[in-house]
Amino acid sequence: MKSQDEIVAARQVDWRELETIVSRAEALHHLDGPSISRAAALYRSLSGDLVLCRARCTPDLVAYLDNLAGRAHSALYGAEPFRIPAFWSLLTRDFPRTLRKNASFFALSSALFLIPCAIGIVLALFVPDAASQILPRSMLDGMADMYSKGFDEGRGEGADSAMAGFYVRNNVGIAFRCFATGIFFGLGSVFYLIYNGLNIGMVTGWVTAAGFGRNIGTFMCGHGPFELTAIVVAGAAGLRMGYSLVITRGRTRLGSLRESAPDIVRLVVGAAVMLLIAAGIEGFWSPSGAPPPVKWTVAALFSLLVTAYFLFAGRERGRAR
Amino acid sequence: MAEPARRLQPIDTTAEIETPEHVRFHYPVAGPARRVVAWVLDWLIRGAILVVFAIFALMGGLAVGDAISDLSVGLLLVIHFLLEWTYYTLWEIAWNGRTPGKRALDLRVVSVHGHPLRIGDSFLRNLLRAADFLPLGYAIGLVVMARDGRFRRLGDMVAGTMVIVEERRAVATTLRIDPPPTPKELSSLPQRLPLSGDELEAIELFLRRKNGLGPAREEELAAMVAPIFASRMGIRNKDSARLLALIHARASERRRPL
Repeated sequence: MKSQDEIVAARQVDWRELETIVSRAEALHHLDGPSISRAAALYRSLSGDLVLCRARCTPDLVAYLDNLAGRAHSALYGAEPFRIPAFWSLLTRDFPRTLRKNASFFALSSALFLIPCAIGIVLALFVPDAASQILPRSMLDGMADMYSKGFDEGRGEGADSAMAGFYVRNNVGIAFRCFATGIFFGLGSVFYLIYNGLNIGMVTGWVTAAGFGRNIGTFMCGHGPFELTAIVVAGAAGLRMGYSLVITRGRTRLGSLRESAPDIVRLVVGAAVMLLIAAGIEGFWSPSGAPPPVKWTVAALFSLLVTAYFLFAGRERGRAR
Repeated sequence: MAEPARRLQPIDTTAEIETPEHVRFHYPVAGPARRVVAWVLDWLIRGAILVVFAIFALMGGLAVGDAISDLSVGLLLVIHFLLEWTYYTLWEIAWNGRTPGKRALDLRVVSVHGHPLRIGDSFLRNLLRAADFLPLGYAIGLVVMARDGRFRRLGDMVAGTMVIVEERRAVATTLRIDPPPTPKELSSLPQRLPLSGDELEAIELFLRRKNGLGPAREEELAAMVAPIFASRMGIRNKDSARLLALIHARASERRRPL
């Protein structure tokens, strides 16, 4: 039977070599072939040493080997790389399929967003002072002022790209917050959907009441089909997450949550891509000088595109209903 | 996911991993303190990136004759938003579960089963920061972490991940007894030691830790057990630490010929 010192003396060279290889790169596939196969061989013999030492050696040596094994394991099994085909099939197939599978959450999320939005518009239009009771007056006036000019000449170069930047950041934040707060048993998603629906509705109603409804409508119709839908999709993912925590079907809450994670990831990544598209449109197309009828036509096309995508993308041929 | 109740695990902040090759090893799980420091580092790096861009925008604006144009403000806001939502995921994918802050503190994100992080899971755990952050300063995240055996915040729970420490350690040094035991000293010990394997292991562990202890502490620890062993062997105990060293020397000398 070998003593600990003898084991260390015999194996130390190999351990040191593995340590050097592992420290050279974050993942082994960045290294050359011989190093990779050498590292794999060293890792396997290290596994044997670990079993031996756990039975026979002092905790400090076992801790050293545990640590080395962990680092070698991380290096050997590097993180999943980003693959374009996988991402493409997520967009063309998995995301719309998952959304259809979770249609009830999408419907609920839409209702939670659109009904307060409609109420907001009606209140702001027909109830005097309703909007200014709820939202700060200065902000409302600022919005009305912003849309008073229209876009006949396009927005001045850069004059409003600051605004576009602000809204892109703001709206992406809204969408992701609608999703993330779903972890609180879905309540956060419910709150943020209603709150933001009401908010957007009130602002739209206020600007319309001020007489610039045509301008704000023309501006929003371009990116709206992507942006507002993405907020609703993110909300649906949040509701799905909350639902899995409440209705666990005999699993632990955590287990139920983990089981729904693949669906949630697909929905959120899909929403993120839609937000990216919306940001592009909001930055370049919506404030452009194109005549309003052209913008309306394009908006109608966008809406049709999104609807068709949700309904038909990723269906298997012959099984489409 | 039901944790297999194979046997009782000691209460410790380590997570056991079993690899596909049926190798088991242990990771120390990273606690809140270390993760907060890593987060602060990442926050400073994000801030620095933004400041660099702001300086560029300012210089560009000055060249055009406009202090800082709305265009650059818009651009800065977009960069800010990209840093806010993609910084962590991009690094964690490029660096196998690490961001610059995590790398500096030897942290790594892995799945709860010890597998490498997947893209979707990284995206999820970092989006959930919006929930962990509430009401402010990651308050909810810290409370959830404190209640979980693997220090997972909400984002880790949804994504099925945990953060582990991969600090480099030094290999155990060889044991040296200083001064070396003389034959006279060894001859005072019986040929067959009346000690169990556990007791010998405890002595070895003590001798390996000796250099990290102060002389007084070393003497105090040795004095707790040496008299017991001395009376069992029927010899006089003069120097407790020395006696333990001699016992170890005798034990390993007996083991060697086998």
